[in-house]
Amino acid sequence: MLHLHRTPLCLLGLSLLALLCLFQTQGLPKPAAHWQWMDIAGEGGTALMAAVWLGQILSSRPRGRVTMLLALGLGGLMLGSWADCLDEFYRLPEASLWDNWLESTLSPLGMLMLTAGLYFWREEQFSLSEQLHRRERLFREHRAFDRLTQLADAGYLREQIRLEQARCPGQPCALVLLDIDRFHAINRELGAAEGDRLLQALGHLLLLNLRNDDLLCRYAADRYAILLPETSAAEAQAMAEQLRASVAQLAYYPRRGGARLPLSARVVCALADSAPDALLAALNAALEPAPMHFHHPQPA
Amino acid sequence: MLAHCYSADTALIASQHQPALLLEFARSRDLPLAGLLKGSGLSEAGLLDGRQRLSPAQLLQLLGQLLCAADERGASFQLGQQWLPGHYGAASLALAQAVDLAQALQILEAEQARFCPLLGPRLRIEGELAIVYWTDSVGAGPLLPALVELHMAALTGMVRWLGGEPLPWRYYFNRTRPRELAQHAVHLGSALHFGAQFDAMVVDAHWLQRPWPRGQAAGVSLSLRQLEPLATPRSLLQALYDQLRASLHAPPSLEHSAAAFATSPATLKRHLARHGTHFQAMLDQVRTHEALFLLQFHGYDHAALAAHFGFHDARNFRRSFSRWTGLQAALLGPQLA
Repeated sequence: MLHLHRTPLCLLGLSLLALLCLFQTQGLPKPAAHWQWMDIAGEGGTALMAAVWLGQILSSRPRGRVTMLLALGLGGLMLGSWADCLDEFYRLPEASLWDNWLESTLSPLGMLMLTAGLYFWREEQFSLSEQLHRRERLFREHRAFDRLTQLADAGYLREQIRLEQARCPGQPCALVLLDIDRFHAINRELGAAEGDRLLQALGHLLLLNLRNDDLLCRYAADRYAILLPETSAAEAQAMAEQLRASVAQLAYYPRRGGARLPLSARVVCALADSAPDALLAALNAALEPAPMHFHHPQPA
Repeated sequence: MLAHCYSADTALIASQHQPALLLEFARSRDLPLAGLLKGSGLSEAGLLDGRQRLSPAQLLQLLGQLLCAADERGASFQLGQQWLPGHYGAASLALAQAVDLAQALQILEAEQARFCPLLGPRLRIEGELAIVYWTDSVGAGPLLPALVELHMAALTGMVRWLGGEPLPWRYYFNRTRPRELAQHAVHLGSALHFGAQFDAMVVDAHWLQRPWPRGQAAGVSLSLRQLEPLATPRSLLQALYDQLRASLHAPPSLEHSAAAFATSPATLKRHLARHGTHFQAMLDQVRTHEALFLLQFHGYDHAALAAHFGFHDARNFRRSFSRWTGLQAALLGPQLA
């Protein structure tokens, strides 16, 4: 995203150069023997770190108020330390005050801006978290999110079950697994791209049918897991049934045209009161279609 | 004959077959092709126009790059879903019209160079059980677990699709239990066993002859007749496995095997080294597999096994067995039955 911020980055580079020129024209270089290495390392290091932070912020954020404040703050800190650092290499005439002015205004101003930026960033974070509701709970782990559906994976789910059990040991908490019937056939008949699109649609559908504190995960492939905190077995059963019905009611039309794709799902639910691995193994086994109407061949 | 076997760098695989499937997957995940092909000596244009032929090593490398770039836990299983019967011309047509599981497995095993050039299936019927186990064709190295997942998902998915119902497979993996089993559970099922000596899928043998709804015996033979015979229908490692298995009772040796392949021991050794293995490792693998089958299904005890493999006594055999498998002969890990 750095290309979005070309102008501020150019301005910053020019300011750094301007400061260098100012010291070069107004001051006399100190002999190397008088250089204070500790000061140079401290002040130069601060400038360098501020540059790194600025790079990270700008390369990861679109333009906007928060980005601007953070960038101004870090830029100010960086210029202040840069002036401080140049001070170690040049001796300025006693009469010139601009140097002190620069040092005592740039850094504090930068800190003020940075603080304001962080304050608004916090507000922004609240509003973004609002949008992640039902996709994450209690802790954040961006690596757990599936690229296709933007839902967290089985590892995240297990961690959440564990946390939920530790947080409210007495409270009932339920887990629902939902599996799409014939999904593999849809994948074969309409292609994997259509299957992916259907998974995304189903993710949105299920999110809409959940309460604010529930958590939807993509367990694997076409199997979704829904964690329902503070929910009794009967309530969970009702919710699972309702999710199943919502999938059956979805009018989904394949992209290449054609008739509405009939959809159905199987659901199982249980109270999450045992170890996550055992719980998930039991629910997975319950979801498996029983070996169907098989008759041993009659001996001829 | 060595000349009748393909090796890791035989240009064998048409680019519109398995490689096209990998590229399609990459496209669906928005992965840049240039990154995937880096260092493989393949060009994007050559792959897309379909005239290039890839070696198994190149396919393996492409797969490795893809799995790494996709960084998606279920990617091997997802690829497997589309691997079989696939779009590999007349061979796929034949497989898709198989009349039952037995015929499908027979086609798959015979035409493995077309369907699964990297990992070969082997069917054994032992008593009431049909056992399909997979062995390495060209030296997959660290990609072997992913290949096993891919091929097991491929066969499971194809059988469910063509047979019209899921089969109650049981799965055995020659690896430790992975931390995350979600993908295995959803794509394969919950009958999973780790720490076995095989990568195997087991199902009751009566499923073999259960007719499949789409089966067309005439279509199968017609399609098979259209297949152009392959110059190299089997990989060297698979052919050596067969040769060793057939000559287990006469004490096998590198010289013996080299003679069977009409080559010199030094050349055979060099070929095996290129596939990341050596003669003794191959022999140990074949003997382990045979020993397990004989112990479990044919009522052999250690003394009988020792005699079968030409050992002087049971003690010697037990020592060798624990070297092959890393296990005591008495502790075989999960049993197939």
